[in-house]
Amino acid sequence: MLMHWIARREFTERLRDGRLYWAGGLVAVLLFTALAVGWAHQRGAHAEQVAAQAMDYRDWLHQDQRHPHDAAHQGMHAFKPEPPLSMVDAGINPYIGSTVWLQAHRQSEVKFNAAQDATGLQRFGNLSVGWILQVLGPLLVIVLGFNAFAGEREQGILRQTLSLGVAPLRLLAGKALALSALLAVLLVPAALVAAVAVAVGAEAGGRIDALLRLGAWSLGYAVYLGIFVFLVLGVSALSSTSRMAITVLLALWIGQAVMAPRVLSELSRTWFPSPTRLEFNQALGAELKAVSNQVWQQNFGTTERWGRDVPLSKWGIALRLDDRASYPVYDRHYGRLWDTWEQQQKVQEWSGLLLPLLAVRSFSMGMAGTDFSHHRRFTTAAELHRRNIQDLMSKDLVAHADPLGDRHFSYQAPADLWATVPPFDYHPPGAGWALRHQARSFLVLCVGLLLAAAFAAFATLRQRAL
Amino acid sequence: MSIHPPPQGRRLLAVMRQEVRLMLAERGLWVVGALFLLLVAYALGNGLLQTAKRDRAQAAVAQADRDTRTAQRALLEAIFAGTAQPTPFENPADPSRMASSYGGQHVLLPTAPLGPVALGQSDLFPSQYEVTNQSRVVFMNPSDIENPWHLLSGHFDLAFVIVYLLPLLIFALSYNLLSAERENGTLRLLLSQPLRLRTLLAGKLTVRAAVLLGPAVLLPVAVLWIARHAGFTAGGAGSATLWWALLVGAYALFWFALVVAVNAFGASSATNAMVLVIAWVLLVLVAPVLLNLAVTQASPAPSRTELATRQRVVTAEAMKRHQDLLGTEYQHVGQGAILVPRDGKIEIAGRSLANYRIQREVDEAIRPALARFDAQQAQQQALLGRFGAVSPAAVVYEGMTALAGNGARRHARFDAQTVAHHEAWKAFFFPRIDARDALMPADFERMPTFAWHEEPADLVRGQAALAVLQLLVPSLLLFGLAAWRLRRFSVA
Repeated sequence: MLMHWIARREFTERLRDGRLYWAGGLVAVLLFTALAVGWAHQRGAHAEQVAAQAMDYRDWLHQDQRHPHDAAHQGMHAFKPEPPLSMVDAGINPYIGSTVWLQAHRQSEVKFNAAQDATGLQRFGNLSVGWILQVLGPLLVIVLGFNAFAGEREQGILRQTLSLGVAPLRLLAGKALALSALLAVLLVPAALVAAVAVAVGAEAGGRIDALLRLGAWSLGYAVYLGIFVFLVLGVSALSSTSRMAITVLLALWIGQAVMAPRVLSELSRTWFPSPTRLEFNQALGAELKAVSNQVWQQNFGTTERWGRDVPLSKWGIALRLDDRASYPVYDRHYGRLWDTWEQQQKVQEWSGLLLPLLAVRSFSMGMAGTDFSHHRRFTTAAELHRRNIQDLMSKDLVAHADPLGDRHFSYQAPADLWATVPPFDYHPPGAGWALRHQARSFLVLCVGLLLAAAFAAFATLRQRAL
Repeated sequence: MSIHPPPQGRRLLAVMRQEVRLMLAERGLWVVGALFLLLVAYALGNGLLQTAKRDRAQAAVAQADRDTRTAQRALLEAIFAGTAQPTPFENPADPSRMASSYGGQHVLLPTAPLGPVALGQSDLFPSQYEVTNQSRVVFMNPSDIENPWHLLSGHFDLAFVIVYLLPLLIFALSYNLLSAERENGTLRLLLSQPLRLRTLLAGKLTVRAAVLLGPAVLLPVAVLWIARHAGFTAGGAGSATLWWALLVGAYALFWFALVVAVNAFGASSATNAMVLVIAWVLLVLVAPVLLNLAVTQASPAPSRTELATRQRVVTAEAMKRHQDLLGTEYQHVGQGAILVPRDGKIEIAGRSLANYRIQREVDEAIRPALARFDAQQAQQQALLGRFGAVSPAAVVYEGMTALAGNGARRHARFDAQTVAHHEAWKAFFFPRIDARDALMPADFERMPTFAWHEEPADLVRGQAALAVLQLLVPSLLLFGLAAWRLRRFSVA
C-alpha cells in the first residue's frame, strides 16, 4: 500500500500548489474549444459530402439519351467521407482535399483542399485535440512533474524518505502513479466528452468502429504521455536542482515538439526525393504514349490516330484498348510516388523512438482515419470506380456505336445504360485495418515507453539515502 | 540637496565591456551562440536549397514550354510547305487545338530575392499554372507534387528559427538579467557605484542583442548577398533586406522588452524563467493557432464541395446545350486534307468546337463562385492585418513571408495576373475559333505571353513598416511597464 500513499501525497501536493489549476485549466479550455470546433466541422463536412454524393449519382441516373463517351467525360465526383474521428485529429485532410472528379482518359487527383483557402497562419498548426495533446501534453507533464525528485532533494526530503527504507523503485512508481492520476483528472473528462461526440457524429453502422478507433487512439496518447511521465521523473531524479531539471526538460521538449517535425520532414525528403510535377507528368505521359502506340500497332497495324486504317467504326474498341493499356501505367507511376511518400513517412515513424511526437502523430492520424494510408485506399477505390465507368461506357460503344460505321458519334445510348453504373459507395476501412497499418508507430511508442521507464528506473536507483 | 547623476555614457561602455568579459568566461554564451549559428546556417541552407529546387523546376517547365512552341511552329511551317500532314489532335493551325492544353503554356511566379528566408506558403500555393481555354476552376488548383505530411509539418527555414527559437535563445541569455545579480548579492555592490540601474540594464541588453542579432541578421544578409545577389545595392531587393533586418530587430526587441519587464518585477530567476516560457507558449504556440481559428470562423471559406457540385452541374448543362455538335463526326477520317488550312480558314471538327463552347460557358457560369473564394481570402487577410497584433509571432511571420515574396498577398497578385492572362488568352483565341481563322506562323509571335509584374516596392515597404510598428508599440509598452516597476526595484 506504500506506493498508494506516495501517490496520494504527491497528488495532494500538486493540487495544493496550484500548478494543476492554471496549467491544466489552460489545456482543458483549449481541449474543449478544439473539440467543439472539430465537432462542428466534422458534422458540417460529413453531411455536405453525403448530400453531394447522393445528388451526383441522382444526376448521373437522370441523364437523357447521349453518347456514352460524353457521359464518361462529364463523369462523376467521388467525395471522401469525413471520418467521425476527424473531429479529434484532422491529420493530412486539410492539405489533400476530398474530391476526385472521375473523368474519361485520365486518372484524376484529389482536389479542393481546405489549406488553399486558409491564411498563412495555418503554418503555426491547426487547433485540434490531437495537436494539443501532441504539443502541449508533454509540456503539461513537465510543468507538473519537473521537481518531483529534484524539488525534494533541494528540501532534503528525498534523503529522509530514502533513509526510512522506502525502495527507490516504489517511490518512482508512486510518483508516476500520481502524475498519471493528475493527467487523468484533466484528460478523462475530455475523453468522455469526445466519446459522446464521436458516437453522435458517427453513422449508426459505424458507431462501434468509431468508438473502437477512439479507444485505440486514446491508448496511443496514454502511451505517449506515459513516455513523458517517466522521462520527466528520470530527468528530475538525475538533476541536482529543479532549475536544472526544467531547463533540460524544456530543451528536450522544444527539440521534439517544435523542431523535430520540420527537421525530420526535410531529412526524409532528402533521403527519398519526390519528383517535381513536370518530371512526374513527363514520365507518365511518355509511358502512356509508348504503351498506347504499342497497342495501336498490335491491333490496327498503325500508330496514326483516326486515319484511314482506324475508321470511326473502331472508335469504341480503340478507346477500350487505350484505357485498359493505361491502367497499369497509372498504377505504376502513382504507386511509385505514393510508395515514396510512405517511405518518407516510415523514416519519421522510426525516428519516433527518439522523438515520440513523430510516432504518435502518425498513430493519431491513422486511428482517426485521416492519414495517408486511408487516403490512398480512398483514391484507389475512386480510381477503380472511374475505370468501371470507362469500361462500361466503352463496352456499350463497342456494342452499339461501332456497328453504325462513320455515324459513331450520332449514337445516343438509352437512359437505362446509366443505371448499369453502381453508385460510388465508399466505406472506410475498420479499426482493425487502421491498427494493422499503424502497427509500426504503435510498436515504436511502446518501445519508447519501455525505454523511458528503464531510464527512470536507472535514474531512481542511483538515489542514495546518504 | 540634489545629487547630480554622473555621466552615464562611459559607464555604459564599461558595463558592456564587463558583460562581454563575463559572458565570454561563461560556457552558456558559447553553447547558445554555437547552437544559434548552427540553426541559422541549417535554416538558411535549407531555404536556399528549396528555393534553388523551385527555380530549377520552373526553368525546366519554361524550357519545356519553349520546346513545345518551337516544335509546333516547325510543324505549322511544314504543313504550309506541304511536307507534313496535321492530325486532328495535333494541329497547330487549328486555334481550338492551340487554345487547349495542346498549345497551353505555363505561367510562373518567380522566387523573390529574399525567397530563401521564409518559404511560407510556397509549397501550398502553386507557383505555376498551365493556362488553357479551360475554365480557371480546372487549371487553377494546387499543382505541385508534395507529400501532405510535409505540408502539415512546414519547412525548417529562417523564419521558423527566428519566430520560434530566437525568443528562447533570448530567454536563455537573459532570463536572470537582474535576478541573478540580486541573488548573488552583486547588484547591491554594482549600484553602490555611480551607476544607474537603467544604464546597467542597457549595457547588458546591448551585448546580448549583439550576440544574437549578429547571426540572425548579418549572416543571412551576407549569405543572401553572395548566393542571390540580394544586397543593399540591388534596388527593391536592397530595401526588402533592410526592412527584413528591421523586422527581425523589432521582434527581438519585443522579447528583450518582455525579459526586462519580467525581471523588473523582482521575482526569482526560476520564476522569471517559468513566466517567460509560459509567455512564449501563449504568444508563439497558442495565439497564432487561435487567431487562425478565429479568422477562419469569422470569415469561413465557401464550401469546396459545393464548388465541385456546381462545376459538375454547369458542365453537364453546357454539354447538353451542345449535344448536337458533340454528335458530329470527325470528318477528316480518310480525308486528311480537310485539316489543312485553306485561304487562311480552317475546318474545326464539331467535337472540338463543342468542347471549346462548353469550357467557355463553364468558365462564365463558375466565375461568381470563384469570386466568392477570392473575396473570402481577401477578407481573412484583412482580418489578420487588423487583429494579427495579438501575437508578435504572427506579425513577424506574416511580415517575413511577405518580404520573402511567399506570402498570401503576392500569391493573390499572381492569381490575379494569371486570371488576366487567361482573359488575354481567350481574347486572342476565341474570335479566331469563332471565325475559323487558321493560325499562321506569324501569329505565334502575337500569342499572349505571361510576364510577371512584381509588387510595387512601396506596398511591400508599407506592410513591413506596419509590422515593425505592431512590434514596436508593445515593446515600448513593456519597457514603460519595466521603467515604472524599476523605480521601486528593491536591490536586496
